Amino acid sequence: MIREALRDPLAHFLIAGAAIWGVLALAGDPVDPAGRSIELSREKQAGLALRFERMMGRAPTDAELDAQIANWVREEILYREALRLGLDDGDPLVRRRLAAKMDELAAAQAEMVRPDEETLRDWYRDNGGQFETGGVLNFEQAWYPSEEAALAAKSEERPRGEPISLPRTVVRNSPDEIAKLFGSDFAQEVTALRSGPGWQGPVRSGYGWHLVHLYQREEGRIPPFEEVREAVERDWRSRTIQARREKAYQLLRDAYEIDIE
Amino acid sequence: MRKFAGFAALLALAACGRIGSDEPTEAQRGDGTDAVELAEFPDRPYWGDTHLHTDISVDAFGFGVRLGPEEALRFARGEEITATTGMSAQLDRPLDFLVISDHSDGMGATRRLYDAPRMMVRDPTLRRWYDMMHESPEQSTRAVAELITAAANGDIPEAMRDTEAQAKATRELWDRHLDTLDRYNEPGKFTAFAGFEWTLMPNGNNLHRVVMFRDGSARTRQVLPYPGIDGEVTGLWDYMDAYEETTQGKVLAIPHNSNLSNGMMFELTGPDGGAMSAQYARRRAAREPVVEATQIKGDSETHPFLSPNDEFAGYGVAGWELGNLPLTERSTPDMYAGSYARSALLRGLTLEEQLGVNPYAFGMIGSTDSHTALATGDEDNFFGKHTGVEPREGRAMEGQNLGTRQGRFGWHYLAGGYAAAWARGNTRAEIFDAFMRREVYATTGPRMVLRLFAGFDLAEDDWDGDWVRAGYTRGVPMGGVLDDTGRAPTFLISALKDPEGANLDRVQVVKGWVDANGEAREKVFDVAWSAREMDGASDSPVPPVGDTVDRAKATYENSIGAPELRATWTDPEYREGQRAFYYVRVLEIPTPSWVLFDAVRFGLKLPTNVIEANVMQERAYSSPVWLRPAHEPQTTPGDAPAIMEGA
Repeated sequence: MIREALRDPLAHFLIAGAAIWGVLALAGDPVDPAGRSIELSREKQAGLALRFERMMGRAPTDAELDAQIANWVREEILYREALRLGLDDGDPLVRRRLAAKMDELAAAQAEMVRPDEETLRDWYRDNGGQFETGGVLNFEQAWYPSEEAALAAKSEERPRGEPISLPRTVVRNSPDEIAKLFGSDFAQEVTALRSGPGWQGPVRSGYGWHLVHLYQREEGRIPPFEEVREAVERDWRSRTIQARREKAYQLLRDAYEIDIE
Repeated sequence: MRKFAGFAALLALAACGRIGSDEPTEAQRGDGTDAVELAEFPDRPYWGDTHLHTDISVDAFGFGVRLGPEEALRFARGEEITATTGMSAQLDRPLDFLVISDHSDGMGATRRLYDAPRMMVRDPTLRRWYDMMHESPEQSTRAVAELITAAANGDIPEAMRDTEAQAKATRELWDRHLDTLDRYNEPGKFTAFAGFEWTLMPNGNNLHRVVMFRDGSARTRQVLPYPGIDGEVTGLWDYMDAYEETTQGKVLAIPHNSNLSNGMMFELTGPDGGAMSAQYARRRAAREPVVEATQIKGDSETHPFLSPNDEFAGYGVAGWELGNLPLTERSTPDMYAGSYARSALLRGLTLEEQLGVNPYAFGMIGSTDSHTALATGDEDNFFGKHTGVEPREGRAMEGQNLGTRQGRFGWHYLAGGYAAAWARGNTRAEIFDAFMRREVYATTGPRMVLRLFAGFDLAEDDWDGDWVRAGYTRGVPMGGVLDDTGRAPTFLISALKDPEGANLDRVQVVKGWVDANGEAREKVFDVAWSAREMDGASDSPVPPVGDTVDRAKATYENSIGAPELRATWTDPEYREGQRAFYYVRVLEIPTPSWVLFDAVRFGLKLPTNVIEANVMQERAYSSPVWLRPAHEPQTTPGDAPAIMEGA
């Protein structure tokens, strides 16, 4: 039970927060607005240099690094002065920003977690329906510029059609893919045909009229877990993020008494 | 005191959360290699938009858009989205790929300015813009127009020019953005490319490029979008070189709106005004294999002044030809040759004779440049250049100048184009590589399927067999280069209409060459057309296809035109040793533009000249095939390894 609780990202969130808070309380706050000494460690300077390098694809010159550092110091001073003036207090923007950051933290924690196999299998069992692949069609088609020409050719054993740069045979295409090739009306009509050995139609498309031999229809199916594991994880993750965010909020919310007049 | 400690802890925790956060699956994060089964040859065009802005763009946000990359991706994939102004919007056919290309300059800056506490905004100009943005959508649009003009004139407030401060803010935004792209990138189904727009604009002359990465976040995270204002194009190429060297990834740049560059996009000289160097030409050709030739802010194929014998020149030229982007400098006809794609392709031939390398050996695509986060390219669902002109009654007839001068109106805007890429599968790697080898084409919106092969052994009877295989094995596809063999090249051309759109009027080959006197020449050949009454004389031009557009209802009939046009065409004016390019232009029958759909929707009464200007023949432009004198060293990027090994 405790172990499970420890795996909960929300627990990580709270524990990490408490730990950092604690460390800061002991070590003294580096951004104490009352403090007027600013230290820029070698490490921090290296960080500035790295940021420059990522941007430009090369290390900064000494002059460029100096400019970076001067800029950092300037910002730090203004930041502390702003805190000293209490600019963050009651400012709707700071309020909104921080709230958004809290929300994001809860979400980021969910993004960090690697769900175990069991969690995902449970998720798959409960939500398997949405991983269903749509049906696909296999057919041959013969194109004619007019309905009459198509009808006249229907009695042929294997209608040849007129020349056009459309695929004669369409293999394992979904209705969406068929729509991209022939237009959506055609895709809809062909999807509604029965599969079998004969030639059917004519079916109208954006190009004209088609005789269609729908020789195989593969129905949609829910693939086994192993095939869609990644999709299950993605789905689990995106939907869990929202839930975690809500849960994190509820936990905080419960500690408040709210009176809206 | 406690409060501040808590604040710091929160920030520290936020940093931890980001570093450790898990990412999308391996396949989604990568370039798609080995992620899907590939066709033997590119078997269908993949449709996309390489030029879309969201609320991260400094101007798009100011114009009012409140939709971000996530909504843009969902919309492109076919989901229904609520547009910023509240209407619901959905593509009737999803796209296959998308490049979100928010401006690198001040990325996220207007959003940050808007969100900032007013008292922190000290700069008087910024504060005025801040107030305007909060006052009303109209004022917000005006504020951004001022911002663009200021950028064009090089007097952006100091606070916005601080690139290091910007870089810092951009880092966080870029990282999150790359994660979002990976999440929506699904090899085989939908490709989400990382990119940005580089917005160089000396004196308001548009030299913008869209930069497009082949790679997933593991590589793109190692850089930041490169700022453009105050820059030079060689600086952008340095950045691209550095990216490829550091990450082993790949990146390309797509110039666009050359029509608003006042002749600066395709100059005969180098960027400093002196002679162009071979090295500059080589870098340009390698870095910029494709040009965006058509989009919402007009069409850049050619201008009637440059192509007086081309009766179909001039599509999407009205209004845009007047001057540069903010209309701070008027255009004069001597500038046009540097502003349009066809004349640039010609200049490329001339420069190749002098330098041994062709800087302007580019393919062509279309895109939207929409600033609404909605990649709409069709006439009946045009959501406007930006949020201020999403569908509403007045937008067609209003003046829509970014600056304050007169001359451009709502109805001058096109509904935007799309890019088609012939690729073997829908992945970052396959589509990007199609761009690199220029096996791409432009349309002004309709999804026509255009194939082009050129070779010396292709013939009419290839149509009876597997002509695609013949094209790939015995010739080159669009974007390719043929070395002169002393025989005229033959072209196999197939143009299929958009299955949901208008029939085709005709297929044309546009040839450009350098004649014996060293003069650049051009000619348009009609090579296939739908059935119609011909007047008999063999060398007379093909008569117009007709016009079925009902102006009052914004409808047309497919009773004229053809569903497919094919041609086997051998250049009748071939001369041995002549340097030339050939590209295909396909014209649809006349159809109503978005302006007429608006007139029906809102019951507008439009002036006759506006109505007639908005019955147009939409079109596709293939990338060219080049014919190069024999025994010349290979210098253009089209010589990248062909898709077929052992072909």
